[in-house]
Amino acid sequence: MKATFPHLAHLNVVLEVLYPALGVEIVPPPPITKKTIEIGVKLAPQNACFPMKVTLGNFIEGIEKGADTIFMAGGVGPCRFGYYGQIQRIIIEDLGYDVNFVLIDSPRYGWKKFFSSLKTMTGGKFSLLQVQRAVSLAWKVLRFVEDLEKTSRSLRWRVKNATQLDALIEKYLVQMKKIEAVHQFEKIRDDAFQEIDALEKLKKPEPLKVGIVGEVYIAQEFRVNFNVEKLLGDLGVFVDNSVSTAEYVLNFLPFTRSWEKEEAWKLAKPYLKRFVGGEGIDTVGSTVRYAQQGYDGVIHLYPFTCMPEAVAKGVVTQVVKEYDIPLLHLAIDEHAGEAGLVTRIEAFIDVLEMRRQQKQKKEFYKIESR
Amino acid sequence: MKVGIPRGLLFYRFYALWKTFLEELGADIVISPPTNKLIIQRGLTYGVEEICFPVKVFLGHTHYLKEKVDLLFIPRMVSFCKGEYNCPKILGLPDVVRSLFQIPQGKIIDDEINMRDKGILGWRQGYINIGRHFTSNDKKILSALQKAEKAHQDYQKKLKEGFFPDNLIDHRPVLQPQKEKVLLLGHTYLINDSHINMGILQKIHTMGYSIITTDMVDERKIRSALQTIPKPSFWTISNEVMGSALYYIQERQPDLKGFIHLVSFECGPDSLVGELIERWLKRERRSIPYLRLEIDEHTGEAGLVTRLEAFVDMMKWRVEALESNLSSSRPS
Repeated sequence: MKATFPHLAHLNVVLEVLYPALGVEIVPPPPITKKTIEIGVKLAPQNACFPMKVTLGNFIEGIEKGADTIFMAGGVGPCRFGYYGQIQRIIIEDLGYDVNFVLIDSPRYGWKKFFSSLKTMTGGKFSLLQVQRAVSLAWKVLRFVEDLEKTSRSLRWRVKNATQLDALIEKYLVQMKKIEAVHQFEKIRDDAFQEIDALEKLKKPEPLKVGIVGEVYIAQEFRVNFNVEKLLGDLGVFVDNSVSTAEYVLNFLPFTRSWEKEEAWKLAKPYLKRFVGGEGIDTVGSTVRYAQQGYDGVIHLYPFTCMPEAVAKGVVTQVVKEYDIPLLHLAIDEHAGEAGLVTRIEAFIDVLEMRRQQKQKKEFYKIESR
Repeated sequence: MKVGIPRGLLFYRFYALWKTFLEELGADIVISPPTNKLIIQRGLTYGVEEICFPVKVFLGHTHYLKEKVDLLFIPRMVSFCKGEYNCPKILGLPDVVRSLFQIPQGKIIDDEINMRDKGILGWRQGYINIGRHFTSNDKKILSALQKAEKAHQDYQKKLKEGFFPDNLIDHRPVLQPQKEKVLLLGHTYLINDSHINMGILQKIHTMGYSIITTDMVDERKIRSALQTIPKPSFWTISNEVMGSALYYIQERQPDLKGFIHLVSFECGPDSLVGELIERWLKRERRSIPYLRLEIDEHTGEAGLVTRLEAFVDMMKWRVEALESNLSSSRPS
């Protein structure tokens, strides 16, 4: 069995640690490129959301690289994500590829199916202890990768040489792929943060702060969203991303939601009273939180025609009015062009800069007139 | 107390139930007029760009009503079938309305009706919560609900017999049955709003076909047809659409000449379910033509008519080709 899986930002690092530890041979799909997107767009239904098209492209490229098994997750709705796998399986079947599509779905659709997919996905022959060990290592790697991304976001505006930062992160991600045990992991982690701390930083005045909210795939997958985070960092903006894969996974399990997520849900309640699928409610809640924390602006990233985010977009207008926080909606699909996106973001940052200056002016005169 | 029901989305499905229920509770009901240009214009002005067309129309109806009534009736129909959901846009509808029109919290009846986990208990609880806006007497609410459910059953029975909500709500003339049939798939709020679908029912009828819709297919047949695919979807309405399509694929009725799938451009569920129907049709019965008609605020009537006419021609050709054994397609 040679398995392939969809890309989601740096999730491949985690899976490349997890599966060898479980004894499953994997074929990581090639990185997302224009070609991946083209394949996906050609095969997927025209109005399906963008993540489905890109992941379908991943599968096809993975199969062409030699994979004979596909790992994919399902869901219970109401977001379309839960039905991706079914449609993708049918499309791949119709194309005539002979692959085993392993879809892990909620136990709601049958415990037997659930356990049999789980068994395939964890290598089958292994003991529970080994599975547990591998998963806990992979979990640590996931946390580390997300920490690394977070540091990169929050440091980019003030490091002297941003390419150095990128190179460092790339280097440690590659190293991380090769680890096999916990002690190796800890060494690499400590080295990574030490080296990043040692990078030369510039003294700069307080930066503009921008939060990113939105759909889990588009807000994270830098090869699809034209690397918005990097772009903002290069414009001298401090970036925070409210979306995280680890949180997304925890959300599926009972009672493991982090307090941040709980808080976001609570903050969203006055505007959106219930879960509407996907990250709809998180988008609203995180926008409120960014506004309360004094961020200068929020960028909302989502795939075009995403249902939960369309609801969030309607609801969030009220938040924007109440908190007076600028919000830029960026819908991404195969037709999005980089130049247009960059122009919009630059204009948005200019607006934020102007607002800040006006605010400072007002405060200055207030003090003068006293 | 004046209660406004916007004529959009699930209105066409629950018309009898909601009307009877609210009237039994002593409410004065105002239903917005059939969709017209002005209503659509309002919906487009206030709506979010990315939301689907029927929701925008719904917003237009809400805008029409919001100053004319004391309470807006927009229950949160999370689920009306056990284990399934409705589309996220319907789940968040009351909140979207509240945010976009700045309507205060107490002016909307937005109680949750959720049968997903609790089944019939969730349904009943939801209606009791709604009833409490009018009376504190739970017994009265339950008896009103019973009457409403009775009315709903009658309404559904009428729909099964081949009437359209148009005939039952606005008492428009009934379309006479024809010899050959077309299966018109799609959400009830697209098929039955004759303004947004540009009178497609009339048009198909004048072209010489009588129409079968999802409403006319027996619930049990739909459910058993759904068992033939690996996993049904988790949206009730889309499941019904898919189930009726699968049912007619298996049934092989000789007088059924084609499938027309009416979808709104940004409909999430239908983008996937439609693909599945199309692929299943190709796999199992290539001889039946399938037309996917996408509708949004930019759809022109001329384009729609042209596509329908071309489709009717195709249906005729298929029949001729089959009869003279000159099969241009692979008959199944």
